[in-house]
Amino acid sequence: MRRLAAWVLGGCAVLAAAAPWIAPNDPVSLFADRAFAPPMAWHLRDAEGWHAPFVYRQQLTDRISRTYVEDRQQRVPLRWFSAGRVVAIDPGAGPLLWCGADALGRDLCARLLHGARLSLGVALLGACGALLLGAILGAAAGAAGGRFDTVVMTVADFVLVLPIVYLVIVLRATRPLVIDTAEVFVMMSILFAIAAWPDVARGVRAIVATERTRDYAEAARAAGAGPVRLIGHLVPAAYGFLRVELVLLMPALLVAESTLSFVGFGFDGASPSWGGLLKDSETLTAMYSAPWLLLPAVALFVVVLALQALSGAGATISPGVRRASAVDIAAPRR
Amino acid sequence: MNLALAIRRVIAALLLVITVSAAAFVLARLAPGDETTSDFIAGVDPATIARKRERLGLDRPFAVQLATYVWGILRLDLGESARFERPVASLVAERGANTARLAFAALLLATVLGLPLGVLTGAHARWWGSRLIAVMSIAVLACPPLVAALGLLYLAVSTGWLSAAPGHLFVPALALGLPVAASLERLQSQATRDAMAAPDLLAAAARGIPPRRLVWVHAARQSLRPVLGVYGIVIGSLFSGSLAVEFVTSWPGLGRLMYDAVRAGDVRLVAGCVFAGGVCLAVGNLVADGLRAWADPRVRETA
Amino acid sequence: MTRSRLIRLVLAVALAVVAILVSRRVGTPQPDGEAGPRRGGRLVASFRTEPTNFNRLVEAQPVARLAALLTQATLLRVDPNSGAFEPRLATAWTGTPDGLTWTFTLRPNVRFSDGTAFTAADVLFTFQALYDERVGSPLASEMRANGQPLQVRALDDHHVVLTFPVPFGPGLTILDSLPILPRHKLQAALDAGTFRAAWSAGVNPADMAGLGPFMLQEYVPAQHMRFVRNPNFWLTDAEGQALPYLDEIEVAIVPEQNAELLRLQAGESDLTTGGTRAEDLAMLRDAEAAGRIRLMNAGTAIDVSTFWFNLTPGAKAVAGKPWLTDESFRRAVSHAVNRQAIVDTVHLGAATPVYGPITPGHGQWFVPGMGETPFDLGRARTLLTSIGLEDRDGDGVLEDKANRPVRFSLLTQRGNTERERTSAVVQEQLRQVGIAVDVVALDGGGLVGRFTSGDYEAIYFGAQSNSADPANNLGFWLSNGGFHYWNPGQVTPATEWEARIDTLMQQQAATMDRAERIRLFTEVQQLVADHVPALWFAAANITVPVNARVGGVTAAAIQPPVLWNAERLYVTSERR
Repeated sequence: MRRLAAWVLGGCAVLAAAAPWIAPNDPVSLFADRAFAPPMAWHLRDAEGWHAPFVYRQQLTDRISRTYVEDRQQRVPLRWFSAGRVVAIDPGAGPLLWCGADALGRDLCARLLHGARLSLGVALLGACGALLLGAILGAAAGAAGGRFDTVVMTVADFVLVLPIVYLVIVLRATRPLVIDTAEVFVMMSILFAIAAWPDVARGVRAIVATERTRDYAEAARAAGAGPVRLIGHLVPAAYGFLRVELVLLMPALLVAESTLSFVGFGFDGASPSWGGLLKDSETLTAMYSAPWLLLPAVALFVVVLALQALSGAGATISPGVRRASAVDIAAPRR
Repeated sequence: MNLALAIRRVIAALLLVITVSAAAFVLARLAPGDETTSDFIAGVDPATIARKRERLGLDRPFAVQLATYVWGILRLDLGESARFERPVASLVAERGANTARLAFAALLLATVLGLPLGVLTGAHARWWGSRLIAVMSIAVLACPPLVAALGLLYLAVSTGWLSAAPGHLFVPALALGLPVAASLERLQSQATRDAMAAPDLLAAAARGIPPRRLVWVHAARQSLRPVLGVYGIVIGSLFSGSLAVEFVTSWPGLGRLMYDAVRAGDVRLVAGCVFAGGVCLAVGNLVADGLRAWADPRVRETA
Repeated sequence: MTRSRLIRLVLAVALAVVAILVSRRVGTPQPDGEAGPRRGGRLVASFRTEPTNFNRLVEAQPVARLAALLTQATLLRVDPNSGAFEPRLATAWTGTPDGLTWTFTLRPNVRFSDGTAFTAADVLFTFQALYDERVGSPLASEMRANGQPLQVRALDDHHVVLTFPVPFGPGLTILDSLPILPRHKLQAALDAGTFRAAWSAGVNPADMAGLGPFMLQEYVPAQHMRFVRNPNFWLTDAEGQALPYLDEIEVAIVPEQNAELLRLQAGESDLTTGGTRAEDLAMLRDAEAAGRIRLMNAGTAIDVSTFWFNLTPGAKAVAGKPWLTDESFRRAVSHAVNRQAIVDTVHLGAATPVYGPITPGHGQWFVPGMGETPFDLGRARTLLTSIGLEDRDGDGVLEDKANRPVRFSLLTQRGNTERERTSAVVQEQLRQVGIAVDVVALDGGGLVGRFTSGDYEAIYFGAQSNSADPANNLGFWLSNGGFHYWNPGQVTPATEWEARIDTLMQQQAATMDRAERIRLFTEVQQLVADHVPALWFAAANITVPVNARVGGVTAAAIQPPVLWNAERLYVTSERR
C-alpha cells in the first residue's frame, strides 16, 4: 500500500517535471473550434482491421451545443518520440487532446501537467511551513504554559479571524501590476504558512499540554532537561497529528490558491495552476456535459490519497518497525 | 477552571475581538476601492458618487475615520452598513442567527458522523471498511467546496428526495457538515491509533479489558484531546459562515453577508462580520476547552 | 456484530447512490399555452442580489429597478424593442412646436394600491424628491437636460405641464425610468430628511404604496421577495380583462449563477433575471427539447466591453512606451484581433462582432460596417513596422527603436467570465504579431482604483449602460466625462477630434429632430472609427430562458429582460 502510494507520488513528480515533453500540446495555446472539446479516445482497430494505436480527428458540428464527432474517414496515427514530445500527432489533424479542452480550447492535459508543478509545489511548501511554524509555536506554548501560552494562542486566534483575503488585496495593491511567477510562488507559500499555522498550533498545543503531565515528561524535567530538550521529548507525541494535518492542508491550500487568484494574486492564465483549473470545474456545465473539467479534482484526490497512505498507516519514527497496538494485544486473531 | 481564570479569558477574548475588528477595518480601508466602487461599475455619474462619499464620511482623514470606528466599537456600536443602510449589528445578528442554525446542524452531523467513524477506522486500521471510509473522507476533502455543494443541490433537485428550496436546512447542512465530518474522522482516526499504542492502553489490554470497551471508552476518551484542540476552530469557522455553501444553496447567512460586504467595499460591514467571527471563535474555544476538561481530567490541572 | 451491520449500511448507501445516478428524472413535457392568457397563478423568478432599498429614486442597483418595475408605474413607457411610446399614467400628451413644453393628461380614476387617489400632486412630489439635494438621487443626472432640472407644474388634478429648460434630444424618453411615487406616503419623510430610509429593505410593506401591477407583500431578508396583484391596477387587456394576469410573483434571491440555472432547469423557478452564459446554452437546449423551458431571443446587448489604452497625456504608467499611445499601434492591434474567433470561442458563436461601441442592439443609431477593421495580420505587421516596431533579435517579440520589447499589461475584471476569457484570447492573438501582453485580472475595487488613479497601460472593462440613446451616455462621449475611458475628466479637450465630438454630441443632445440626431451621431461614430481611441470586439446575443408554462413573454435586451412587462405574463398550469 505504502509502496504503491510512493510510486503514485513519485509518478506525479516525474509527470510534472517532464510536463513539457509528456504533454502533447503547449498549455497556453488556444485551439480554434475546440472549446469544450471532449477527450479523444485511443483506437486500435477500425473496419479495415487492427492498427498501431491511432486517434480520429475531432470535428465541431454544433458550436453552441458543443457537439464534436470523430472524423472516421481517416485514421490519425500516433507519432512516438517526435517533435520533442513523447507522443504527438500530425499538426494538420488538429490538437491531440487526451483529457479534452477547456472553455477556450486549451489542452486540459497539458494544463494539468504544467499546473502540477506550481500548485503542488506551492501547496506542499505552504503546508510544510504551516506545520513547522505550528509545531514549534504550539509545542512551545503547550510546554511553557502560562503567559507565553496565552500570547501565542491569542495571536493564533487573531490570525484565524482576520480576513486574510483583505491582507492579500492590500499586499497586491502595493506590488506592481505584473508580478512574475516566482514571486507569486514564494509569496503565496509564505501566506499559506501564515494563514494555516494556527490550526496546527492548536492541535499540537493540546497534545503537548497533556503530554507534559505524563510520567516521562516529569522524569525528564526531574533529570534537569531544559525547556528546549523537553519540547524535543514531547513533540514526537504529535507526529501522528501533524501527518493528518498535512493531508488535510494540501487540498485546502490548493482550493485556497484559487481564492487568492480571485483577488488578483494568483498565477495568471499563462502559467496554469490547479487552483485555476479547480475554479473552472465549479460549474453546472462541467457536471452536466463536460465532466472532464472535473479531472483536476480527481487528480487532487489521487495525490491526497497517496499522501495519506504514505504518511499514515501506523507509521512510526523508525520505519519498518510497526508499533504494537492495544487492539492487537486484545484481539490477536481478529 | 476557577472564576478568576474565566473572567481573564473573557476579557482576553473581548480584547481580541476588538483588535481584530479594528485591524479588519484598517485593512479594508487600505485596500483599493471603497463603498462607491460598485456604483462606478454600475455607471453612476461622478457627482452622485462624490455626494455619497461625503455622506459616508469618506472625505475625512483616515485617522479620524479609524478613531471614530474604534470609539464606536468600544461602546459595542458597529456603525452603519453603507450598502444596506442599516446598523451593522442588526444585520450581523439577523444573518448570524441563520448561520448558527445551519452551523449547529452541520456540527451535529459532523460530530455524530466523524468522531465514531474516526474511532472505528483508527482502532481497526487494516480492516477494508476502514480503508474505504478513509478513501471516502479524502474524496470529500479533495472535492472543491462549490462543486460539492452544487453536486448535492443537483442531486436534490433531480431526484426530488431532498428539498432544495431556499430556506430548507438539509442540503446546506449536508454540504457544510460532510467535509468537517471527513476531517474530524481523519483526526480522530489518527488520535485513536496513537492512543491505542500508548503504554497505559497496552497495559489495559493486557489486563484483559474487552476490546470493545477498550476502544470505545478508554481509547476514545483519551484520543479526544487533539481533536478537541481544533474543535474550537471548527466551531468558530462553522459559526462564522461558509461562502460556498451559503452561496450555492441560497442560505442567508454570515458567509454571504461577508462576501457581499467585500464586493461592495462596505468596510464597516466587513469589520462587523469579522467581529462576529471573532466572537464565534472565542465561544468555540471556550466550549472546546470545557469539552476537553470533561474528556480528559488531566487538563483541569494544567488549564 | 458492529462490523457486519456497518458493512450492510455501507452497501445500502452505495446502492442508494447508484439508484440516484440511474434515475435521472426525465422531464414531463408541458402542454403548450395556446389557450390564451389565463388569470391567476404564481410565478417564481430568481435574482442574484438582494435588495437594499425599494425606492428607485435613491438606489441605482438593478434589483431596485426590478422592484420599481413591479410595484410602481411611470407616466409613459418606451417599448424596449420598438422604441415606441406607450401611454401609462398619462393617457395623452401634447407639445409646443419647439418641443420644450409638454402638457400631460393623467389617467382618470387611478388609485394607489392602498386606495388613495392618484393626482397631479404625486407627479409634482416625485420631481421634488428627485431634485432634492438631501436625497442625492442617482436618477437625477439622467433626468436633467444639459445639467438643468425640468420644470413641472400642475394645471389641475389631472393635467401637468413639463418644461425642458433647453432643447433636449432624448426628450420624453427619460420619463420611462421615473416611477411616480405616492405623496401621501413619502412627503413627511422628504420633509424630515429621512427619504432615503423610508423604503429601505427593512420597510413594513404596509408603509409602501404604488401604481404598478403588483405590490410588495413580504421581504424575507436574503431569501425572497413576494409580490401580489395590485387590485387597483388600472390597465386591462384587449378583451377587457383586468391586468395583471398573475396573482403573485415570487422573486427568490439566488446569488450563485449555477444554482440559479439548476433551479430553472429543474422547474423550481420559472425565469432568471441575470444573463445566461453561452456555455450553459447546451444544457438549456436539452431542456427545451424536453419541453421544459423555452429559449427567447432578446436581441443584441447594448453594453459592450471596451478595450482601451491609457491615453492621458503624461501618464506615468506609459512613460517610455511612446508607441502605446500611437494611433497606428491601436489600428494594428485592431487588425490583429480576430473578432470572429472571440465570438466563436468566448461566446460559442452567440455574439456579433462589433467595431465600435454601438451595436445592432442600439437600433437606429447603429451604422452597419462603421469602422470595420478586417482581421488582417499582414496589415497589422505593416502598421507596426511603420512606427518602428520590429523583431530585431528574432525572439518572436517586437522591439521598438530603443530596443525595448513591445510588451504591455492588460487589466481586466476578475470574476467576469466574458472579460477574462476575451483578454486571454486577445493575449494569444497579439502574440501572433509579436506583441506580448500580460493579462492581470483584478477584483472590482483594484481595477477601478488603478483606473481612477491612471496607473495602468491598458484595460478591458466597461461600466454598465442602460440606455441606447447616446445623449444619455454623455459621460462616455464627452471629453470631460468620467467614463471617457482612455482619458477621463479632461479640462479642455486633448485632441481636435475629441473637441469636435464634444461639439457634435452637445449639438446632438440639444436637437429634437430624430433624423438630424442620427446624422450628427453618425459623424461622431465616424470620428471614433478614424481615431480608434478604443477597441470593441463582440456584443453578446442575449438568450433568455423561461419555463415553458409561462406565456405572454416579450423578451428585451434590457434589465430585467422578461419582468419589465410583468403585468402581461401568465402561466398555463399551476406549479407542481
